Amino acid sequence: MTLLSIWDFTGRLHPVLVHLPIGILLLGCLFQLLTINAKFSALRPAIPLIYLLGGLGAVFSSISGYLLSLSGDYDGDMVGIHQWLGISVSIVSLSVYAMCRTKIKETLLNFTAIFLIVLITLTGHYGGSLTHGADYLSAALKDNGKGKAAIPAIVNVQQAVAYTHMIQPLLQNRCYNCHGAEKQKGKLRLDGKDLIIKGGEDGKTLVPGSAEESELIKRLLLPPSNEDHMPPKEKPQLTPEEIELLKWWVNQGADFNRKVQDLKQSEKEKVVLLSFQTGTERKEHKQEEIPAGKVTKADATAIEKLKKAGVVVIPVLSTSNYLSASFVTAKASPEVLKLLEPLKKQLVWLNLANTGLNDEDMQTISKLDNLIRINLSRTSITDQGLALLKGIVHLQYINLVGTKITTSGVGQLSVLKKLNSIYLYQTGIGRADEVKLIRMFGKLVNLDFGGYVVPTLEKDTIEVKPL
Amino acid sequence: MTRDELNAYRLVKEAQETELRAFTRRHFLKESAMGLGAVAMGALLGSCGLGGKSNNDILYDPAHPLLPKSPPFLGKAKSVIYLHMAGAPSQLELFDYKPELMKMDGQDCPQSLLAGKKFAFITGVPKMLGPQAKFAQHGESRAWISENLPHFSTMADEVSFLKAVSTDQFNHAPAQLLIHTGSPRLGRPSMGSWATYGLGTENQNLPGFVVLTSGGSFPDAGKSIWGSGFLPSVYQGVQCRSEGDPVLFIKDPHGMSRDLRKASIDAINKANELEYATYNDPEILSRISQYEMAYRMQISAPEVMNINDEPEYIHEMYGTQPGKSCFANNVLLARKLVEKGVRYVQLFDWGWDAHGDGPNNSLNIGLKNKCRSIDKPITALLLDLKQRGLLEETLVVWGGEFGRTPMMENRNGVQNPYNGRDHHTDAFTIWMAGGGIKKGYTHGETDEIGYSGISGKVDAFDIQATILNQLGFDHEKFTYPFQGRPFRLTDVGGKIIHDIIA
Repeated sequence: MTLLSIWDFTGRLHPVLVHLPIGILLLGCLFQLLTINAKFSALRPAIPLIYLLGGLGAVFSSISGYLLSLSGDYDGDMVGIHQWLGISVSIVSLSVYAMCRTKIKETLLNFTAIFLIVLITLTGHYGGSLTHGADYLSAALKDNGKGKAAIPAIVNVQQAVAYTHMIQPLLQNRCYNCHGAEKQKGKLRLDGKDLIIKGGEDGKTLVPGSAEESELIKRLLLPPSNEDHMPPKEKPQLTPEEIELLKWWVNQGADFNRKVQDLKQSEKEKVVLLSFQTGTERKEHKQEEIPAGKVTKADATAIEKLKKAGVVVIPVLSTSNYLSASFVTAKASPEVLKLLEPLKKQLVWLNLANTGLNDEDMQTISKLDNLIRINLSRTSITDQGLALLKGIVHLQYINLVGTKITTSGVGQLSVLKKLNSIYLYQTGIGRADEVKLIRMFGKLVNLDFGGYVVPTLEKDTIEVKPL
Repeated sequence: MTRDELNAYRLVKEAQETELRAFTRRHFLKESAMGLGAVAMGALLGSCGLGGKSNNDILYDPAHPLLPKSPPFLGKAKSVIYLHMAGAPSQLELFDYKPELMKMDGQDCPQSLLAGKKFAFITGVPKMLGPQAKFAQHGESRAWISENLPHFSTMADEVSFLKAVSTDQFNHAPAQLLIHTGSPRLGRPSMGSWATYGLGTENQNLPGFVVLTSGGSFPDAGKSIWGSGFLPSVYQGVQCRSEGDPVLFIKDPHGMSRDLRKASIDAINKANELEYATYNDPEILSRISQYEMAYRMQISAPEVMNINDEPEYIHEMYGTQPGKSCFANNVLLARKLVEKGVRYVQLFDWGWDAHGDGPNNSLNIGLKNKCRSIDKPITALLLDLKQRGLLEETLVVWGGEFGRTPMMENRNGVQNPYNGRDHHTDAFTIWMAGGGIKKGYTHGETDEIGYSGISGKVDAFDIQATILNQLGFDHEKFTYPFQGRPFRLTDVGGKIIHDIIA
């Protein structure tokens, strides 16, 4: 081990060492302030010793801190403030120790204790800002940035300036913290054109035109376990699309001024670029499959009775109280259907396919107003029964395959704003009614009329024979 | 009592009292500090996942092993239909379009592709073989699909293709085992067993895991490919047939009335209950429930498994051959089973091993015929599930056990008589549809001759992790304790292919 690396090592111990004097000195100050109350006067003899230990700890921390600052990875100004605050903590604490040993007024000692607490807090704050970034504390109060896209959505990606609108925000949100104005790990700054081109202590970061040779890209692609992987594995990572974007930008010459449309793009890159455009990621509105809120546990005796009748009643997932019920092996007699009522709060999925359910039974079903999915295929219901479902406002999926429902019957459900899948195969409704239904339900609803045909082609029946 | 005895008694008494006096509060604290520390340590370690109670609750209720259970997460898929093309179809004649390979047709294979590689049959320097089918782009997703699958081409916008699947097994049996059980060696439970173990099955009158085979031969890996491994035996696949009796010997033999059957099963169960009272072996309870299920199945299975009840236009759609045993019949049956609440339906279709060693094993004859036998059924399956509102909750998977080489096979250094390709582990195509999978999407890409994946590479474990994810399981937490450690389907591998999840 060379001497240099011992210094380096000692420097890196700083973040560990600092906590010793912080704890010890705060304890000293606390004891000092407690002795204001005569009840705690017995603590007095311990105070000088605590200050001495704390003071020595502060001295060691200051030394290690100085060694760490030599690495140059940190923002100079802030290191300066932190350094001098740290040194003052050492001096003040050792002075207080000396003061305790002379006969000095208790009030003065109390004020020094308060002063020392303020000093330690400030030093600690600046130290924390150095490691975690200046906005570390305030960010927690502001909008939590986690999970936020690194690149704000762009209205038209092709019109955007590649660097200004995409690359720069990406670097800002994922890299500036350690390679920006405040910290320059590896002597690298990425917050500006010239700085990016200049590179860091390991040389150039960019080889315009070749992502493969560019250190910037290479480090992104290293496995997270690799020490050189960027961003460090505990920090927010880039998405595959963001990496593809950077690769594309570098391959196209790492241009700082041109618009996306002026740079070459392969088919695949076009898709990647498009993913940064507003609204392209999700064409359809996604909905929750179970309600977001919590619900009380369902009545166990009601479930037991249903199970006895052959109905499959289970929670939709093992940690939820929401239930699904399936009549795949049960008869939907009015008595059994009545048993569903006590579960109306919990029941979200209901399968009544092939049960011979009729309009009268729909009275009971209409009370289950938390339903999200209902399968009524091959039942005897008609438009009249279906109308009763108008109050089930959360309904998203309804399967009416093989029922006598008509277009106007389904139309009654257009008041259900969340409905997005309607299955109408083998009903009186056909593709001819599509326009009418779309007018009622809007374009986003998935209407399936079924009746698909797979025509028999001539080739289907001919066997290929060897010549 | 003599004086000496009395003295001795007093001495002992005093010693005891002194000792008791020594056990003060201080003594208690001093002596028990270590113990308390250990308790605290245990709690701390427990929270780190070391020591403490392990997380392997067995989900198995021997008296009702197949009762439906809730998954730990909201699964998009309730059932799975896995269509396995045993023998490994050629991705280069179906989905992986490589015009560059055409340019190299007939040339010697570059050494760089052969160095350090092992093939099942290729020896020496084989010739490159261009695509033996015409390709076109289909649907809005512009997916490349060959002329061999004219019907399926219309489904391009319903499925997600995985173009860069790889495996590390170049022989059929181990590669099939790897895909279905997570290990190339025998003894692990198959995916269908894991699914029924974890979720049970909705319909207690039918098996939860049904296996249907076609193509005239079993898959090379044999029946262990649907075995239950170390899971309770009740979770193994039940092999059924689409012609004749769906399950062999399901009909009561001549002279055996239904009542007599019931009486004999009751008697057997009673004997088994006595046995259980003596030995407490849960497998006995499982056997009792199996007998009861078999009795119920005698009524329900022939009804569900009879495809002849389906209307004519459905037969026409699937291209079935009633009365025969064929893939189309099995596919239609699979749809019927899923509709009735069967959890996992596994199809194997044998005959895709196009080496070029004979006409039926050639890319221009045998492969084309195989394609014709599956093209209509798989298309019909997707459309039929869709129109019944079942595709949303049914995951359909299609694929083989490995891919085929861009080189023409030269068995023992001699050119094969027909155009064929050898087994290839580095790249092949699998597609998935329904059950919460993206529509019209392609994940992964191979190099310009289709030799290896260059992006979006996935392996068997990734596919298993994704299937379990769609059923509502975290493949890393879904375990079963065996031989002193928890086992998972994906062993120590598997990453969910998030890109293909809608």
